[in-house]
Amino acid sequence: MRSILPEDWTLPAVDELNEAFFTSGRILLQSCAGCGTIQHPPEEICHRCQGTEFETRESSGRGTVYSYTVIHHPAHPKLAQSVPYAVVLVSLDDFPDVRITGNVLNRAFDGVSIGLPVRAVWEEIKTKNGAVYRLPQWEVVE
Amino acid sequence: MHRRTAVVGVGESVYYKRGGAKESEFRLACTAIRRASEDAGLALADIDGFVSYRDERNTPLRLAAALGIRALNFSAQTWGGGGNGCASAVAIADAAVGAGYADHVVVFRALAQGQFRRFGQASGATLAGGSAAFTAPYGLASAPQTMAMDTMRFMHEHGIGQDALAEISLASYEHAQRNPRALRYGTPLTREDYHASRWIAEPFHLFDCCPENDGAAAVVITTMERARDLHKPPVPILAAAQGLDYRASVGAYNAPNFPTAHYRHVGTKLWERAGVGPGDVDVAQFYENFTGPVLMAISEMGFCEPEELDEFVSDGNIRWPDGRLPINTSGGNLGEAYIHGFENINEAVRQLRDESTCQVEGAQLSLSVSGPLAAPGSAILFCRA
Repeated sequence: MRSILPEDWTLPAVDELNEAFFTSGRILLQSCAGCGTIQHPPEEICHRCQGTEFETRESSGRGTVYSYTVIHHPAHPKLAQSVPYAVVLVSLDDFPDVRITGNVLNRAFDGVSIGLPVRAVWEEIKTKNGAVYRLPQWEVVE
Repeated sequence: MHRRTAVVGVGESVYYKRGGAKESEFRLACTAIRRASEDAGLALADIDGFVSYRDERNTPLRLAAALGIRALNFSAQTWGGGGNGCASAVAIADAAVGAGYADHVVVFRALAQGQFRRFGQASGATLAGGSAAFTAPYGLASAPQTMAMDTMRFMHEHGIGQDALAEISLASYEHAQRNPRALRYGTPLTREDYHASRWIAEPFHLFDCCPENDGAAAVVITTMERARDLHKPPVPILAAAQGLDYRASVGAYNAPNFPTAHYRHVGTKLWERAGVGPGDVDVAQFYENFTGPVLMAISEMGFCEPEELDEFVSDGNIRWPDGRLPINTSGGNLGEAYIHGFENINEAVRQLRDESTCQVEGAQLSLSVSGPLAAPGSAILFCRA
């Protein structure tokens, strides 16, 4: 179930690079097996050593709102019933250079601001063709 | 500082609101190119090169055949983004002409969004790949939405107020009131109108966002030597730059220097090559996709520190005729027409031929800065012959 946007709204095109991020139910970041460099979004090659073997590192899922916007104008007819909604950019507390986009599930659109402490939660979405996503989302830590 | 090549002709079609063009996009392109060559005093058949930037649909192959080009010697298009390539495209023509690959190169943009789809409309696709996989599923589906995120952080970090955004919009609308080509000619904007307009994506109100329009604009580039035999005073290219800081093109807001409009590196290279600095510029055109990114570009190009932006743009400082740096003197994307920024190239040239409707008296250095927040940035500096 999606709580902010409609069920038929855009989903990630899952590939071997982003599958762990969008389906595992954990915040798993791409880490170079050769030199340990973290890169997000995941890439096909390590930008530091050009290695092509990767592992994942798990974040605690605690973070801070780094930026946000409140969308009032629906950019597509599918979003007409969803506006206004907020989108946040979260900086991870344990990997502060990594920023992850999401929605805040336990606040209204006008209840988000820069600096809010948040923790990751997951929206489980099953598509008609049987694919299962666990989309990272956020809750304000009360 | 090279002055090896110059713009010798500028031209455009009539500009229309989106979907308002009565002719096809290809015919609009042909009209702008024909007018630019007429303005230069060149026969159309003497054009031997075409350059544009991403999303251009009217190929040099089709144009060369349709316009009766005697022989095509050069064609090219830039990578990346969209309107961030205007100045890059002119720089490619400059390089081609300077190297002798072609004699008279046209740089252009044409768009008719009634004939084709709107550029700014979200696709609403079932799946998003690449870095959009990390943003679109959360409802960041169009340019104002994605760029609002960068702008909000920039305003927060540097204490920039909503009125600084308003100033960009107000300057463009005010300058459009003097330009009969401008779509907003005759429809002034007040500060009250700005603040009362609806939110699109915070911090962008309606009037922070450029409209989508139909039309075409073109310039002709040749060598300074050939330019002497043509109709109009040549407008030499003093320097151009395009590029990026280290890993600045990483997606989904993870560039190491986030938020950036992609103009720090461009500014550094441009001033180094030109042998002048931002303080020497008499007039500037800044591509306004949205007002906030213009503020970012102004500071990254070195005109002021981000913390000084509120003051830099207020009190008429960016307005013609008395401002210290009049910007977007034809009305720009917001006020004249959104021809993916190419109208700002034409205006930068006109300022050095004393043909602007907001003419900066005796202007010697005229800057055009392409689309901010789309990578890579590009900018070009013209001078008086």
